[in-house]
Amino acid sequence: MNTSEILQAIASGERSAREVCDQALAHIEAGDGAINAFTATTARRARAEADAVDARRARGEALPPLAGLPYAVKNLFDVAGLTTLAGSRINRELPAAHEDALLVQRLQAAGAVLVGALNMDEYAYGFTTENTHYGATRNPHDRTRIAGGSSGGSGAAVAARQVPLTLGSDTNGSIRVPASLCGAWGLKPTFGRLSRRGTYPFVHSLDHLGPIADSVQGLALAYDAMQGPDPLDPGCHALRVQAAMPDLQQGTGGLRIGVLGGYFREHASAPARAAVDLAARTLGARDEVLWPDAALARAAAFIVTASEGASLHLPDLRRRPQDFEPLSVERFISGLLQPADWYLRAQRFRRAYRDQVNALFQHWDLLLAPATPISAPAVGTEWIEINGVSHPCRPAMGLLTQPISFAGCPVVAAPLWPEATGGMPIGVQLIAAPWNEALCLRAARALEQAGTARMKQ
Amino acid sequence: MKEQHILAYVQAAAPTLGLELDAQRAAAVAQHFGRTLAMARLLEQAPLAPELELAEIYRAAPFPGAQESA
Repeated sequence: MNTSEILQAIASGERSAREVCDQALAHIEAGDGAINAFTATTARRARAEADAVDARRARGEALPPLAGLPYAVKNLFDVAGLTTLAGSRINRELPAAHEDALLVQRLQAAGAVLVGALNMDEYAYGFTTENTHYGATRNPHDRTRIAGGSSGGSGAAVAARQVPLTLGSDTNGSIRVPASLCGAWGLKPTFGRLSRRGTYPFVHSLDHLGPIADSVQGLALAYDAMQGPDPLDPGCHALRVQAAMPDLQQGTGGLRIGVLGGYFREHASAPARAAVDLAARTLGARDEVLWPDAALARAAAFIVTASEGASLHLPDLRRRPQDFEPLSVERFISGLLQPADWYLRAQRFRRAYRDQVNALFQHWDLLLAPATPISAPAVGTEWIEINGVSHPCRPAMGLLTQPISFAGCPVVAAPLWPEATGGMPIGVQLIAAPWNEALCLRAARALEQAGTARMKQ
Repeated sequence: MKEQHILAYVQAAAPTLGLELDAQRAAAVAQHFGRTLAMARLLEQAPLAPELELAEIYRAAPFPGAQESA
């Protein structure tokens, strides 16, 4: 059952929230050995939350928008009673969180039922979820391939239909990359839209949180439920809720939609370009648009990420580097050694870059680009080739997402299934100006209704 | 910048942060540093006017509202 069917069945009384919850837990128990999306399940809590929904219905109360919907969160979200691992071995030594992350509190208030915590790259520094401590998360469509990262468990759990909704984080692409490689819907909101309070940070200047879901409705419902100001998160700039659900069915008529060329075509394989072309045809987009300074933005994002990400872990990198993820420990150390000039230059560039990007959106409402250069490679792949040029596989997965998140624009990653990928998906980014998530979601809904973008049955 | 210069920088700079690197780790760090150096070189080519400030600027406190005195 998908999000819509689950919510309708519970609302109508056809199924209890407890039944749905138990079915999700059983599905995870039976199948996760092969996928490795979960690092913990929260069965007792989930049953209590589901029973609370059923009790409300029995009392004849109006149900909240996500009543009874099972979901899970990347294990960098605080969950009361669980230690916030953030994909690391070191964090196992921390005490359990004493309260939920704010977004988990908001989903609970909306009636959603938390069933567990999900695997990720250590401290979110990666695009592949090849986690040495907890094992690689496998792509549900081909278990020899990666699920993407760093929210790999979040993408795989939705794609494997273990849960219809997950939460992830996206600093440079960590929601959009697993959504693309697993064939699920992902939303990276505007930078500063959703509170990050109660999550383990990676890069304060760039961290975003958002949902991955089995449908556009699921994305929009979760997104709306999580919105709201948070004066206690200095990175939360939203001052009020701007609900997306009311406009979801408005279609894309009258919108100025373009296709990103240049950098975004040069760094995309033929199937990735084909996926964008298919989405463009469905949405009636014909014009090619040049995004300003994409390569420079990626370079700046790379530098900011390395400096800030590494700085958070200096004490542990001094004392116990052997306890870090072998695939990223040397990147962390390299980040610590970067000259201050690089970091400052990157942050100054970001201000000018933001102005250029916002100026572009004076002429366009929505822009399309691939989410990943290729479909999911095999676990352990070191190098990939894109249009005849070799790239180190792990960082290259973020080539097309980093320039967009560095500007802070909202993006929906829509799952498409182009030919010549061996049946694997590639996501298409639907990009709008800051604070215009509703446009991304409207276009996503149009692609979903046309059957162009979809979850695999 | 040549590879041996990058490695020498890594080996010299790491102790200033209290990081101990064996030869194998220093070489691996230098490889990553070299990749980032290429990106930094690219970024250096972007013209940045002196008045262009950092993306995020410190704010001492929210500016007082109309009903408040500073």
